[in-house]
Order: sequence, then structure tokens, then C-alpha cells
Amino acid sequence: MNKNQPQIQRNLWENPWGYVESFFIGIGLIVTGLFLEVFSTSNNAFTLSYPYNVVFLIGYVLLLFVAYKWFTNSQIVRWLTKVPASISSITLITFLVMIMGIIPQIPSENNIINNLGLNRITSNWAFLLILFQFLTCLGLISIKRILQFKWANFGFILNHTGLFLALTAGMLGTGDLQRLSINVYENKPSFIATDGNRNEIELPFAFYLKDFIIDEYNPKLALVDNKTGNIAHNDGKNLYLVEKGETYYFHNFEVKIDEFLPNAIRFGMRYEAVNEIGSPPAAKITVKNIENDSIQNAWISSGSFRYPYESLKISEDYSVVMTIPEVKKFSSDIDILTQEGERISTVLEVNKPFKYKGWKIYQLSYDDKMGKWSNLSVLELVKDPWLPLIYIGIFMMIAGAIYMFWMGNKITKNKE
Amino acid sequence: MTWIDFPLYSSIIVAFWVIGLVFLVVSYKKQSAFKFATSAFLIGWAVMILFVVKLWLELDRPPMRTLGETRLWYATFLPLIGFVTYIRWKYKWFLAYSFVMASMFLVINYLNPETYSKTLMPALQSPWFIPHVLVYLFSYAVLAASSIVAIKGWYDNYKGNFNIETLKLADNLVYIGFAFLTLGLLFGALWAKEAWGHYWTWDPKEVWAFLTWMGYLIYIHYRHFHVNNSKQALTILALAFVVLLVCWFGVNYLPVAKTSVHTYTQY
Repeated sequence: MNKNQPQIQRNLWENPWGYVESFFIGIGLIVTGLFLEVFSTSNNAFTLSYPYNVVFLIGYVLLLFVAYKWFTNSQIVRWLTKVPASISSITLITFLVMIMGIIPQIPSENNIINNLGLNRITSNWAFLLILFQFLTCLGLISIKRILQFKWANFGFILNHTGLFLALTAGMLGTGDLQRLSINVYENKPSFIATDGNRNEIELPFAFYLKDFIIDEYNPKLALVDNKTGNIAHNDGKNLYLVEKGETYYFHNFEVKIDEFLPNAIRFGMRYEAVNEIGSPPAAKITVKNIENDSIQNAWISSGSFRYPYESLKISEDYSVVMTIPEVKKFSSDIDILTQEGERISTVLEVNKPFKYKGWKIYQLSYDDKMGKWSNLSVLELVKDPWLPLIYIGIFMMIAGAIYMFWMGNKITKNKE
Repeated sequence: MTWIDFPLYSSIIVAFWVIGLVFLVVSYKKQSAFKFATSAFLIGWAVMILFVVKLWLELDRPPMRTLGETRLWYATFLPLIGFVTYIRWKYKWFLAYSFVMASMFLVINYLNPETYSKTLMPALQSPWFIPHVLVYLFSYAVLAASSIVAIKGWYDNYKGNFNIETLKLADNLVYIGFAFLTLGLLFGALWAKEAWGHYWTWDPKEVWAFLTWMGYLIYIHYRHFHVNNSKQALTILALAFVVLLVCWFGVNYLPVAKTSVHTYTQY
């Protein structure tokens, strides 16, 4: 397409605008945005909420449509529908996102980072302006290809329109996104949730936690360096799940697990299985030193918030310890109580949220100090009315990606 | 069958692949050696798959949690890509590359032994876990292959015998890799919505995944409209792969790593 272009001498800002002008405009937008960051006094992120975001979206798409339909010969619209404008905006967005990928996006003590807003890129004016240019390009070419529909452009339309929808809806939707968390205690109804700014919000329904359940993996056996207290590297093979009857090797020690009790406490010389809050796992191990055949017998335990841990020193340098069991699964058996007196039972689990009246309810966390004895479950409620639009965009892109995989090289072939 | 048996299996696999490579080199002179090369590659690959399957069964969880486990998948996919590319475009050097790379990943795994860990945190226990990771690793492997093509292009350019066919091969690989990259990214978004309540949180790994996606997006657009500027295209392709490498394991070393949910576990 631009085969002959390099040979032609052109002046800056002469028709049609190319890469130099595109980057000039793009960098201009970024500099403007950074100025806005430095001189604006407001620290709040710029967001639009209902109904302004809906009005904005409709107005924006109409404007793009009008621009394409009636102003297609104007310099700026022609520039926006050409490749240099797209590539320059993609490159500059990539540059800003790269800053986000390097500088942690948390409050900073560095004045330059703070003033330029480099630790809050997603709400930075520089980012918003360049993204706006990018979306305008994307919107215009989507409209162009949709209006001049050809089956050969099907993948193109899916990819470009899908990305436009997902990004625009995602950006505009943040103003309407509600994220609340609520602490729910066993055998108590709860209906006061808190939002991100710690404001209390009364829900039109209540949660009643019948049971909070944690499944754990068995604890692991590890070798610890006595001097540093760190887990020793036994050629990488240093952590083994504790199971009765297993034998493991650490350096020149053979460790056999004679007995394993998931909940136990010490009675004199040994541990016994109990069913008591805070009772840690314990195991009886036999450690044989392969070099001199000496044998040690002992009980070790990972300890818990109520009981101390116990390890076994096997040499001057090393001890065998039991790690705190890792969580396999945690879930809340709850009832949702409505104002109409209804009772809806469900079990919430990580990766298995429950939908109720436009809310999605998630299992978030629990009292991790209490571990499996926690009677607190933290739930999260999310309402995102823009989600359907975003999903349409995402699924268009998935279809576009499959199309691209299938057709990709055929198109290149025909072009040459 | 666990990582403890890995040294044995990996030696068998690498031995077969080295034999295959030797026959492949011979086949440049004597075409009849090629079928011996193929058989040796395929036997080694069958052993590789056997190991992966048995490891998966033994662990009771998909072996995709640690960096070493992702290298294992890389070593599994590369031969597949090498063969498919060979069947489609008949590049022997590319077939050789894919097996050399796959062997290299096995050697890296051999030098950095894995811990024997069966545990998998609750957030990873999702039907999205396997498609998300497999699609990504497949895409990384294809894109890595495309960058090797880019390096070959640079070398040919330097030697003055650059052939536009090389760039077309890179294009095909980038198209396939990019399609899978997009799928991985979007599957990740859909999964995140189910697990964490939001489809995109600008987690550092997400940021770099997005950057990788943008890098290849620039390449595709540039190639589409500047068919003859091969040198610039090759440069973009090489840079995009650098971003991909940062995303894959470089993120762990950046100052932003501590705020990520995606860092691979060490134990």
C-alpha cells in the first residue's frame, strides 16, 4: 500500500499524515495528560456513572458514525482511519502500560512518580487521552468495515468491534461497578456489607452461615537449616506430604512416618487423637542415619494458634519439621434470607460463585489465624451491570481468534 | 512416577532426540536417513508424553503450577509444532530447532530439580485452569519459534541472501501464536471473573500479558501494511519476544512482583 511512499518527499503536516505526525499527536496527548496530572488538584479518579456513561457511550458511537458518514474527507477522520494513527496509539499505550508493569501501582514516596501519576496509570489523564484516540481509531474502522460488509472482513470485524466493545464497556462500566464485602459468622444473620471506602451498606437480604468448612492437605515434612531457619535444599526434593507408612530421604537420613494424626495434642510422651479446637496435626517419625545406623524416634507437630510446634533435631545442621497444612478447599454453607421471608440455600466455594438478584456472591476468605476452626467467612458481592456488553465483546474476540487461527495464513497467501 | 523418575525419563528422551538430530543432519546428504530421524523423534516424544501423563495421574492435579512444570509442557509442545510446520512447509532446520529447544528445556529441568508437591491452592482448582495454561504455553512455544525465524531472517539479511519466504513463515507462526495468545488472555479474564469477581485487575502478570499481546499486535499491523520493510518487521518481532520473556518469567524479578497473584511457586 505504501510501496511508493518513501520515494516521495513530503513536508510535515502535508496530506496524508504519516508516522511522524501520528507520533507527534500521540506524544502531544501524553504530554497534555501529564500536565493535567501535575496541575489538577483533584485526587479522585475520573469515572462516569449511570446515566452519564450510557449517554456518553451513545453520544460517542453516534459521533463516530456521523464522522465516518459525513466527514470522511476531513483531514482528521482520514488520519484516524489509517494505519499510522493505529500503530502510533498502540505503541504509545504499550509504552504507558510498560511503565505500569515496572513501577508498582501503590502509593509512592517518590515525588516525580506521585506528581506525574505514574503509580496510577489506569486513571492517569495521559493514559485516558491516548486510549481515547486508540478507541476512536478502532471505532471508526469498525464502523467502516461494518458499513462496507464483505465476508472476507468477517474476522476483522469480530476482532476490532469485539475489542472496541470490551474496552469501551469496561472503561465506562467502572463507574457502575459495585464491590462489597461482608463478614458472616456461623449461626448469625448478617446484612451489613462494606464497600471499598469502608462505608457500611445495608443489603436488602441477609446471609445466614450454617457451616464454614475447610479441607486441608496433609502437612509436609521439611528439612530446616538450624542456623538460618530456612528450608534446606535437598536437591530440590525437600517437601513431602506426610502420610503414614511413607519413607523419605533427606541427605543421608532415612525418615519413616510411623503414625500420622490430623488432630492431636500431647499427653506426656506421645500425641493422641482428639477432637478439640486448635489441635494441630502430629506424626511419629523414625529417623535413621545411614552413615552410622543410629536411630532416633520422636513426635513432631506443626503446631497451631493454640499449641506450639515441635521439630526434631537430627544433626548439628538440620532439623526435621512439619509445615502448617495447606488449604485444599474452603466453602460456606449459607442461607440467603429475603425480606419476603424466603430462604435460599447454597454452598459458596472459591471458583463457584452464586448469582442472586443481579449480584454475584463469592467466597472470599476467612479468619486465617483460626484456620479450619474459623467461624467467620468473608463473602464478596459484585454487581457489574455492564458485564453483558463486555462479554459480547470478549466472545466476539474469541470467535475472531478462532477465525484468525483457521484463516490467518490463507489471507496472507492471497495477498502476495 | 514422579519428578524423582525424571532424570531417567529425560535421559531416554534426550538420547532419542540426539540420535534423531544426527540422522536429520545426515539426511541433508542422504534423504533415506530422514525416516530414521523421524522415528527416533517420535519414539522420544512418545516417552515424553508417557511421562507427562503418568506425572499428571500421580500428582492428582494438572502439572502446571511451577515454572519447571511449564518447561515440561514447553518441551512437549515444541516437537508437535516442529512436525506440523515440517509437514506444512518442509523446513528441516525448523524441525531440528524445535527438538534442540525441547531438549534444552528438559536439560534445564534436569539441572533444577522440581519439588515433589501435590498441593494446589483453591483458586487454581477451576475448570479454566487447564485450558488457560495450555493455550498460553502452546502460544508461547509457537511465538518462540517465530522469533527463531526472525533471528534466521536477520542472519540471512546480514549474509545478503534474505528470502521473503522466511518472513512468511514467521507471519504464519505469529498468526497462530497470536490467536492462541488472545484465547489465553480471554480465558484468563473469564476465569478471573469466576474466581476473584473481576475480569481484569491489572495484576503485574496481566499487565505483561497485555504488553505481549500489544507487541505482536504491532507486528501484525506493521506487516499487513508494510509488506516490503522486512528489516523493521524482524526487529519488531524480536522485541515482542523480549516482552514475552519478561511476561513468562521476568515478572518474578521486577519490583512489581510482590503484588501479583501469578508468580510461580518455588516449593
